[in-house]
Amino acid sequence: MSLWEICKNELRAVFTNKAILLTVFGGVLLYSFLYPLPYAKQIPRDQHVVVVNLDGSQLSRRLERMVDATPQVQLSARAYSLEEAKHIFVEQKMAGIFVIPENFYRDLLQGRRPTLSYAGDASYFLVYSTVLEGLAGSGQTLAAEVKILRMAMSGQALALAKEQYSAVKLNTLPVFNPTMGYVNYVIPAVFILILHQTLIMGAGILGGGQNEERLSEGRVYWLKAAPWKLLLVRTALFVVIYWLLCMYYFGFSFAFYNIPHLADFSDLNILILPFLLSTAFLGISLGLLLPRRELATLLVLLSSMPLIFASGFIWPDSAIPAQITAVIQFIPVIPAIKAFIALNQMGADFSSILPFWQQLWLCAAIYGCIAWLLFRRQVISG
Amino acid sequence: MTAPSFVSMVNREWRVLLDDPWLVSLVSWVPLLLYFLMWAIFSQGIARDLPVGVVDLDKSPTSRALVRHYDASPALEITQNYLNVRQGADELRSGKIYGLVIIPKDLEKEMILGRPPQVSAFVNNQFLLIGKNVNFALLQAQGTFTAKVETVKNLAAGAKVLDMALSSALPISTQATPLFNLNKNYAQFLVSAILPAIWQILMVAITVLSLAAEKRRKGLREWLEDFPVRGVLAKFTPLILLFWLHGLLFLWIMYIFLGWPMHGSWTLLIFAQLLTVCASIGAGSLFFFLTQDAARGLSLAAAYAAPGLAFMGVTFPVTDMTLPARIWRNMLPISHYIEIQFGQVNYGAPLHTALPQLQCLLLFVIPLLLVFYKVRQLGSVQNRQGSNQ
Repeated sequence: MSLWEICKNELRAVFTNKAILLTVFGGVLLYSFLYPLPYAKQIPRDQHVVVVNLDGSQLSRRLERMVDATPQVQLSARAYSLEEAKHIFVEQKMAGIFVIPENFYRDLLQGRRPTLSYAGDASYFLVYSTVLEGLAGSGQTLAAEVKILRMAMSGQALALAKEQYSAVKLNTLPVFNPTMGYVNYVIPAVFILILHQTLIMGAGILGGGQNEERLSEGRVYWLKAAPWKLLLVRTALFVVIYWLLCMYYFGFSFAFYNIPHLADFSDLNILILPFLLSTAFLGISLGLLLPRRELATLLVLLSSMPLIFASGFIWPDSAIPAQITAVIQFIPVIPAIKAFIALNQMGADFSSILPFWQQLWLCAAIYGCIAWLLFRRQVISG
Repeated sequence: MTAPSFVSMVNREWRVLLDDPWLVSLVSWVPLLLYFLMWAIFSQGIARDLPVGVVDLDKSPTSRALVRHYDASPALEITQNYLNVRQGADELRSGKIYGLVIIPKDLEKEMILGRPPQVSAFVNNQFLLIGKNVNFALLQAQGTFTAKVETVKNLAAGAKVLDMALSSALPISTQATPLFNLNKNYAQFLVSAILPAIWQILMVAITVLSLAAEKRRKGLREWLEDFPVRGVLAKFTPLILLFWLHGLLFLWIMYIFLGWPMHGSWTLLIFAQLLTVCASIGAGSLFFFLTQDAARGLSLAAAYAAPGLAFMGVTFPVTDMTLPARIWRNMLPISHYIEIQFGQVNYGAPLHTALPQLQCLLLFVIPLLLVFYKVRQLGSVQNRQGSNQ
């Protein structure tokens, strides 16, 4: 059987298979809009906080206004005791409680270090850190003002006091995702996972489906072809389809969501090649092993959550048990997420992602051999 | 034809289920393995010793003391001392360190002269949660360092007592209390949402696969021929019991075995789980009967359930989701369930606060009714064909 004949057969097998079309094109398109959907607003704002002002002085009311003016926090309820605040917190599902203690103003004047208390719902981390940023930020601003005022009262020039209120200043600058947006954080990694998983599903549905047919229909084209030719054609077909889908994600979707894309076009393509090759080989191998076509989908579906959380972008690699990180190194998506994020989101040099690139080629070599052996076994046994 | 008893139909369904090795794995060890994996990934709970690099351009005793302060923070570890900024920036870009602190030249001199120098820290926020941890730890370490320096300065300048010196260094003290998760434990925060998300994925997928197994056995038409609605109900009964067991299992793991605090009503929580199970079976069976094909049904189920966690509102708050996101979220049973779980476990919220979510879960009777309608149709088509012959 010539390459061209195999090509025609494979094209027909893919483009007449509704399950593959639904998974590959439908899935990639749907997810490109569905996954960023909950994060469309990028950063949480105006978290509802209940305030307990036990002081009632002018200064405490000014502090309240300062807190309310921060983008992170909105003081949307007032309580007159801590008990009442707790009640409101649970009933109205607030994000935090802010307590200004009794005699706050007096203690501050007398230099007694009054304590401002913030409580936030730490069962939602992003909400907690947002509330804390807003509350602590305004508390610090007030503290700085008090210090400047005191320095001015003790005889320093106000302009000088404004500069010298702290012995050392720390300026922390968020880099790579300067707006701290959630889309920019989650989507680049999740998109790599989606490409990886749908490619495996597509190749798996094709292979598994053909295994089902083999039982019922006897000798068919994929048993007449030479194993290397079949592997070549099938891999090339999926790689080409996914190269186009990669362009859609890295080109259109990233631009659509304003996600930074710092990688050089040629560098990006040099990385895409081993990523798609290793993933396609893995998918084809799985397809040849699984007796039914839906089982590939099942394996992919169940593996998604462990893979994304073990990939190191949500939870640091060093905190994940070493056995787990060691095992998943052989799944292409893991080095791919690291390499694509470093290259495209953080603007790393290609030389610094070289180890991941080599790892992807190693995966491609391993799964390529496995796929070839499985094709050969199929022809011999068929 | 006399109707077989419902019990005997259910018994038949148990046998069908146990006949398929894939389904047996899916209802037995697969959930356990997934729960264990997710817990193991986050089992450390708190991020410790996150690698941070330093470029110390001052190299004075003060700058070294500052670096030691950062290193002493449990969340940070100063792994590298770079000679120049370029070197450090390269490592930051490649993801080897999560933050880069640059201590300016003449830090000590400027401090002694009373011209506050500025230390800069570049924090990698591409990894947002890790970045926030690094940022917070750096600010905290810096805060104690400054307070120490200034207190000593104030004492030297004639403050009578330590308290006074401290108070002019830090005029307001603050106390932040993380409610309901005192240690700010990531395992408690994420795993308690991830396990329900996985539970839902399993429920929807197993429902599709067990209906597909029936189709493979003797075809849908024949199965539904005589008693379509009773037939699917019998099919669902073992699933309901098993899924409920899977749900109880993760509750038991988290709140009894691992001993995480649980403040609310077990009865309400377990009842909410039963509703969630029925709702998920409704969704899963609808996907199957819409396509009547295992692969396509499972693809739809995957598209529906896989992004569940993103919409649950645990990682990103619901109040900041746009309207389309909230509509999609409302179509996922697990997002209603998780609100009840958090409400009970964390706040011990009174029953009436859970009523809206319980009502939403009851609305998932709609997909079930659609499924019943569809199976009746399938059954009656078969009957007509049978009478024509």
